[in-house]
Amino acid sequence: MSTDPEKPTEQESDVTRREFLGTAGAALVVAAAVPGVAVEGQTARPAGTPSRPRTQIRLTVNGAQRRLEVDDHWTLAEMLRDHLRLTGTKLGCERGECGACTVILDGKTVYSCSYLAVWADGKSVTTVEGLAKNGALDPLQQAFVVHDAPQCGFCTSGQLMSAKALLSANPAPTVAEVHAALAGNLCRCSNYSRIAEAVVAAGAAGATRRTSGGGQ
Amino acid sequence: MQDNPRRIATSSVSPMKAIGQPTPRIDAADRVSGRATYTRDVYLDGMLYAQVLRSPHPHARIRSIDLSRAKALPGVKAIVTHENCNYVWGAGSIAGGVQYNDDLKKITKQRRYAFNNPVRYVGEPVAAVAAVDRHVAEEAVRLITVDYEVLPFVLDQEEALKPDAPKLWPEGNISLTARNEAAPTVSKRGDVEQGFREADHVFEERYSTAMCHNAQMEPRSVVAHWEGDKLTVYTPTGGIANCHHDIARDLGIPDEKVRVICHYMGGNFGNKNQNQDTDLITAILAKEAGAPVKLEFSRKDDFIGMHGRWPTVQYYKVGVKNDGSLTAIQLRTVSNMGPYRKNNGGVAGIELYECPHTESTLFPMYTNRTTSANYRGPNDPQGYYPIQSLMDDVAYAVKMDPVDFILKNMVKDGPRTRFTNYTLDECIRKGAELFEWKKRWKPVAGSGDGPIKRGAGVAFMSFRSGVGNSSAVLTVDARGQYTLYVGVTDVGPGAKTTMNIIAADELGVPLSQVKVVWGDTDTCPYSVGESGSRTTIMTGEAVVTAARDLKKQIAEKGLPTGTGLLKASASPNPRVEGKTRNCFGAHFVEVEVDTELGGVRFLKYVAVHESGRIMNPLTATSQIKGGVGMGIGMALHEDLIYDRRTGIPLVTGYYFDRIPTHLDVPDVDVTFIEADDGYGPYGAKSVGESGMIQTPAVISNAIYNAIGKRIKDLPITRARILGALA
Repeated sequence: MSTDPEKPTEQESDVTRREFLGTAGAALVVAAAVPGVAVEGQTARPAGTPSRPRTQIRLTVNGAQRRLEVDDHWTLAEMLRDHLRLTGTKLGCERGECGACTVILDGKTVYSCSYLAVWADGKSVTTVEGLAKNGALDPLQQAFVVHDAPQCGFCTSGQLMSAKALLSANPAPTVAEVHAALAGNLCRCSNYSRIAEAVVAAGAAGATRRTSGGGQ
Repeated sequence: MQDNPRRIATSSVSPMKAIGQPTPRIDAADRVSGRATYTRDVYLDGMLYAQVLRSPHPHARIRSIDLSRAKALPGVKAIVTHENCNYVWGAGSIAGGVQYNDDLKKITKQRRYAFNNPVRYVGEPVAAVAAVDRHVAEEAVRLITVDYEVLPFVLDQEEALKPDAPKLWPEGNISLTARNEAAPTVSKRGDVEQGFREADHVFEERYSTAMCHNAQMEPRSVVAHWEGDKLTVYTPTGGIANCHHDIARDLGIPDEKVRVICHYMGGNFGNKNQNQDTDLITAILAKEAGAPVKLEFSRKDDFIGMHGRWPTVQYYKVGVKNDGSLTAIQLRTVSNMGPYRKNNGGVAGIELYECPHTESTLFPMYTNRTTSANYRGPNDPQGYYPIQSLMDDVAYAVKMDPVDFILKNMVKDGPRTRFTNYTLDECIRKGAELFEWKKRWKPVAGSGDGPIKRGAGVAFMSFRSGVGNSSAVLTVDARGQYTLYVGVTDVGPGAKTTMNIIAADELGVPLSQVKVVWGDTDTCPYSVGESGSRTTIMTGEAVVTAARDLKKQIAEKGLPTGTGLLKASASPNPRVEGKTRNCFGAHFVEVEVDTELGGVRFLKYVAVHESGRIMNPLTATSQIKGGVGMGIGMALHEDLIYDRRTGIPLVTGYYFDRIPTHLDVPDVDVTFIEADDGYGPYGAKSVGESGMIQTPAVISNAIYNAIGKRIKDLPITRARILGALA
């Protein structure tokens, strides 16, 4: 299918690209390890796009350091989806009502639709693509699979990120604690009890691993 | 909390291998890792972005549109309006509101175009712009100037019936039937007047239900792309086959020149088993611009530009004898269809009861509101709530326990209706037992001390599970690897996992030995589409038929060699002759109502369903739980209200729509009574819609039991509860 995160759609002007590559050399090495994402031109804008104020930011995306030039008005979600092609982060309302775009920024959840990309300068962002490690699903993702937490799946990334942040703060939450912590993540399939089941199970399994000395 | 549903097998059900095992979705890893590709995740080289300009008026004639400033904006590549995008959107307005087909397109008088003049609701598309990015497109939309002649409007369906109401169409405000007649739809049995004469008591009541938006999490978006004269459309649709044919028909091009792709869809919930105006608009923009175009809806676009459940006003008159038996039911329904007839506008409910004399009259009315359409159980929850609330009142009035009243009067397997199998009584008895009905229900509604009052309610369901035509193609290669091609899109219930389970069981191989190919009209055969809770039944039956054929071929010829394939195609079109095939269910709920603050809390929710044999108890249970959750939103929260003075919709997002959250939905205790009536794949029946249908009714009855006041309008808000108690 032609929908994979393909090569950047258009070239930037030569000047911009040279400047960009000159400053982004160090990040290039790291980011090139991320399959399917080429660093140069990843924030490129199509030819004919009106010039808008841009700012260079440094941030860590799913563990990889990035140096990026971004339009000042881009939201974090827009940068992640349209320009880094991390499309696991979904946009359900773009006004902070639904939580589908939830990401973890420096350990706290934010709605990436309501957070500017430039504000992420110097911070570390984790998206749903950053949960699996070395191709293995995170135990939380695995619990979502086993407990049928995604129905249509559109809210799932946001639910996972809120749940991940919850488990970091409260490793073995109760059902009520999960519902309270995830109240900002809507699910129109109303699969809330399945989602809570999955998070509680992931927490309980994590507690067992810790007690038995096994790490993950 | 239960991990699995409680399952009670009737004698007709013999164990199978994969069927009946709780099976995680085969695509679950993609869904939890961000790899699942939804329409808006599609990026094509040189792709433009589109935005829609919408009418700010509920009813207006467009005198002229000035595009000069928008066209002058750098980066704008194409603009379409009613002047240069003059395509009929066939499925957008259908005489009679029945399933759309080629013949209906010819006779439908009240045609809906991709862009209409006059515009008939706030939010109706007026123009669309494609530009190099979404910000330029947004700016261009703001630079378009439209000169409107504002016309009088009507929002309320009963107002629209009045002779002096503003007219939306020359033929008047009653939506035309499939024969283009402007008359209400009447169906009757017996003679209701005779029934009322025979009654000891006659009850009359008015109920109303509100518009609820599908509000699926994925806002509508489309990517359209021409390669020469071949159009590819990525679009969220529950039925790629129907959407495909609709697009070709509307654009006047051959079917084979259109390809529709939908691999993942962020929720369906109704009226998406066809094309949408957005598909046409994006295709024409892409043609004009000579580049791929992605149209993106905002949440507000989706709320005001799509569709929701039709609001209704229902007038019931019911006759009953002293012994609690029904003598007559009469119903007059006025449904609010918005300005176009997409679906029928009817309400279910009367068929649930054994009654000799019934009469139902439906007025599907045009108004200047967002279009109404099918939404999970199109006619059902808004039909079940009034009649089951009223029958609950009747039960109290004749001093009967509501469960006994239902058992006495509910539809039976008998001369009037012959069912393929019948378990409604079992669902109700089992539910009452699991719920401990006698312990939780109060014989005197509203009794008890203190501001927090508890109450229990019951409601039931008998819902179509028809069989019908769908297709599947199955191949096997030299290594014994099977590939199943099905035109499903897997909108959430887990269709492709179900198809995989059915194929694996019939072939006698592990799930992993069958690869499922789905969601693309260039590779998949016709499928009935994921609507009407019928994919498992109809496409599942096609999978069984194809698998049996392929097994026979293998037995005769052996496995192919080299790169050869054996292939079986099936398009069965089974029928249930002379019988009715329904699924059944009963819900019981205990609520706590705060009589000082008006809040409702759920203490226990029991759902017992007979949906034939359950293919995958894991996903089937999720459907019931989720259906109840949606039903709670409809029962207590959701109402797309309008400003009466301006005709502007006030609920244009989740915040004011108040769809249920993690804090609103209780865990539901789900039981499946399993049966095999000999139809469908191994006896499978409908699941998807069945969880939602009786939820508003059961909550209404529990609230009545708690506070002793009947709320006769949905949603049952805090304000309405406090108003009833004041």
